[in-house]
Amino acid sequence: MNLDTAFLTALFLSTLRQTTPLLFTALGGMFSERSGVVNIALEGIILFGALTAALVVERFEAALGPGPHPWLPWLGVLAAMAVGGLVAWVHGVVSIRYRADQIISGTAINLLAAGAPSLVLTYFYGNATSSKEVANRLPLLGPEGFALSPLVYLAFLLVPLAWWVLFKTPFGLRLRAVGEHPEAADTLGVNVYRLRYVGVVLSGVLAGLAGAYLAIGFLNQFVRGMSAGMGFIALAAMIFGKWHPVGILFSTLLFGFASALAIQLQGTEILPAVLVQAFPYVVTVLVLAGFIGRSRPPAAVGKPYEK
Amino acid sequence: MGVLTDRKRLGVLVLLGGGLTFLLWYLAPWAVPHRLFGGEGVLLNPFGHHLPQGSLPQGYRDGWLYTLFYLGLAWLGLSLLLPWTKAGPRGLYLAGALGLGLFLLAYALFQGSVAEVNRLAERPLLRRYSMGLGSYTTLAYSLYLLLLARTFSPGGLAFLVRRRGVVVPLFSLLLASLLGGVMVAVLKESPGEAASWREALMLKLDLITYTYQLLYSPLVNPSGFLQSLLLATPLIFTGLAVALGFRGGLFNIGAPGQLILGAIAAMLVGVYLPGPRWLVLPLAILAAAVAGGLWGALAGWLKARFGAHEVINTIMFNYIAASFFLFLISANEYKFFGQTLHLPFKYPGYEARSYEVRPEARLPHWTELVAPGGELSFALPLALLLGLLGYLLVRKGLGHRVLAAFLLGVAGYILGGLLPGPQVAFGPDLTSVRLNGAFLLALLALLFFHFYVFRTVGGYELRALGLAPKAAEYGGVLAGRKVVLIMFLAGALAGLAATHYVLGGGIDEYRLKQSLPYSVGFDGIAVALMGQNTPLGVGLAAWLFGILLTGGLQVNLQLGISRELVSVLQALIVLFIAAGGFLPRYFTDPLRAAEVELKEEKEVRA
Repeated sequence: MNLDTAFLTALFLSTLRQTTPLLFTALGGMFSERSGVVNIALEGIILFGALTAALVVERFEAALGPGPHPWLPWLGVLAAMAVGGLVAWVHGVVSIRYRADQIISGTAINLLAAGAPSLVLTYFYGNATSSKEVANRLPLLGPEGFALSPLVYLAFLLVPLAWWVLFKTPFGLRLRAVGEHPEAADTLGVNVYRLRYVGVVLSGVLAGLAGAYLAIGFLNQFVRGMSAGMGFIALAAMIFGKWHPVGILFSTLLFGFASALAIQLQGTEILPAVLVQAFPYVVTVLVLAGFIGRSRPPAAVGKPYEK
Repeated sequence: MGVLTDRKRLGVLVLLGGGLTFLLWYLAPWAVPHRLFGGEGVLLNPFGHHLPQGSLPQGYRDGWLYTLFYLGLAWLGLSLLLPWTKAGPRGLYLAGALGLGLFLLAYALFQGSVAEVNRLAERPLLRRYSMGLGSYTTLAYSLYLLLLARTFSPGGLAFLVRRRGVVVPLFSLLLASLLGGVMVAVLKESPGEAASWREALMLKLDLITYTYQLLYSPLVNPSGFLQSLLLATPLIFTGLAVALGFRGGLFNIGAPGQLILGAIAAMLVGVYLPGPRWLVLPLAILAAAVAGGLWGALAGWLKARFGAHEVINTIMFNYIAASFFLFLISANEYKFFGQTLHLPFKYPGYEARSYEVRPEARLPHWTELVAPGGELSFALPLALLLGLLGYLLVRKGLGHRVLAAFLLGVAGYILGGLLPGPQVAFGPDLTSVRLNGAFLLALLALLFFHFYVFRTVGGYELRALGLAPKAAEYGGVLAGRKVVLIMFLAGALAGLAATHYVLGGGIDEYRLKQSLPYSVGFDGIAVALMGQNTPLGVGLAAWLFGILLTGGLQVNLQLGISRELVSVLQALIVLFIAAGGFLPRYFTDPLRAAEVELKEEKEVRA
């Protein structure tokens, strides 16, 4: 067991990389739940985003040649955000307009995300598990040896931005009002349904961003089930972070650290890899059991609103 | 409902249906007398065939088609006029019945035309033949007319609303199938070349129809039928595991993890516990139930004690269970902080799997149950008969009735085993299907669910907790304990699914393997919703998905469409049922349903 600087540097960078998708998703989940809609579909939306990003980049490469095309990964990111928003909108329609049980609706989308990519992959590549590798990944920014994807920086920049939007703008105030007491907000002329749609779609856009980061930032292809529970962990982080951007920053860092530790410990003789992989999940359970009692969700979360 | 009994509205609905019918008659093949390898068919349509080889199959005569077409046109015209006559909805019953007759006629004529060709040849020339979407449209339109007739008769809407537990799942299945058809059309190029846009559409529609024919083909093929029961077995368990949670107001997404723990426990007992069959087999089954149950109860306890939401926790427990499972069977040596830990569980070799379960702990294969030693046995039928008689004839409390049924059932089993039976032999296509005793356990689990949830005080409390938690607590239900108990029972049901795989050899070998398909736990969600959390519904829904999964293999083999089509259909079904099938709200909201029923009742009386 050798805790030298190389190990610690690798652990630090790995923590930032592992935190990024969790942070995007958890902030997304925060917007959705603050508006009163539980979005457990985020796990599946990450997958849809990742699939979209990888497919868009790979298809353009197939049409235009391998490049380099510096704009291409960004197109993939935009497409992933759009698809993420679209899938979340479906969740919104079913749970806001048709007043479905939001957890069941979200689970349905997660089930869809487990099956549908295989159909699409079979159509394009003739195999059901992964896409072709892409040549144009997102670039790296930063000094030699510490270079990170721009999306990593973006994720952390989103924290103050989300805080400002949620607590310092009229939109944020209305969003929170709709999640806490929709009847009161409605009486004051706030359009409850529209704000909830915005909250849900925003969460999908952010989860799509997380998916794009996984597919063309962290890796260079889509792999089936590559989200590996990140959407659920992000929701746990959101609860642990008390539906607050700053709390979410620290809680996702904790989960990111747990994942990074698991990765860095693999192949060492300290702990067996198969057990270490379960580490973030165990941390999630412990966190939910130990701390959730003291945090309070938005009052109207999970309840369909009826005029 | 006043608006709905409106004659004009009925006329428009019939017109819409009729128009769609005519469109599909024009575009879709009516019959496919022969299908080439790769899925391209000889497509017959009264407006022009699609003939891959340029001509009809040798000796095939298509005259019947035109007779049928003109009959069909007359019928369609009649149905469109009927709503505007005095006959109204009652007339539509007649039209619907006529349509059913027309469909049967089409079926008979088509079978006759194929038989005529095959009769003359030495070997059957036309082997893969079927009806086409055009003919099915006739059937669908007839059923649509009958449905309209019932809905627009007095009290018709209440008739539908009262059966919303069936209407919503079936309507969702229909919607999901339509969307699935669109996906097939987009994702799969149709085989064969088309000369015109109509022919291109005909090929697409035939592709979709063929896909669904393959998906439902296990219904008409003995080995596929058994295979569908085999695949339904674990789905019954996991469906019940999710349904029990729903009934108690909990969402158990943890069935995969509970199944894994059950599988590990069943393996441990089955491999390492020596002893006679009557002891080891029940213990192995019990171990699976208890292990799954404890894993579920842990999530229940976390909810009851700390308020940790069961949804995220059970999902996390799935991942943790999967890691633990791999830890046990993927290697026998692990390094912990430089020290070596030795485990005995992995079977030598490259593959991650355990040792084989001892023969004493295995569930019997279906041939051993139906015909031990090649002789048809009366044990099971007699046990069922006497058990049922015992339940129906004993006129005492529930406990006595169940006990009597059980005792008489055992007596029947022993007695039936003593009776001599005729010799039977099954072909290799049937004996190779690994349907086993776990299927009987699944049926028993359905019975358990029914009796526990609907006939006991405990079940009443469970349902009360699910419908109105605060009222239930006020009424004296200890909510915390009940949550733990519900999750224990749900976990136990999911754990029992493992007996199918480990003790019953559901995946080729009597052991724990890395390929253990624990994601059937997620399929349980679709099964529970489709079955509306009732035992009969869960059984039927599990069988439906068993059929589709079996057929999915055929779709993959014959058309190269990923088998995941079935899981996409499942997901869509869940989504649509969650949305109440996009039907009006009196189909989902019990209060509004009651309003509709009351109002209709008044109208019927008036």
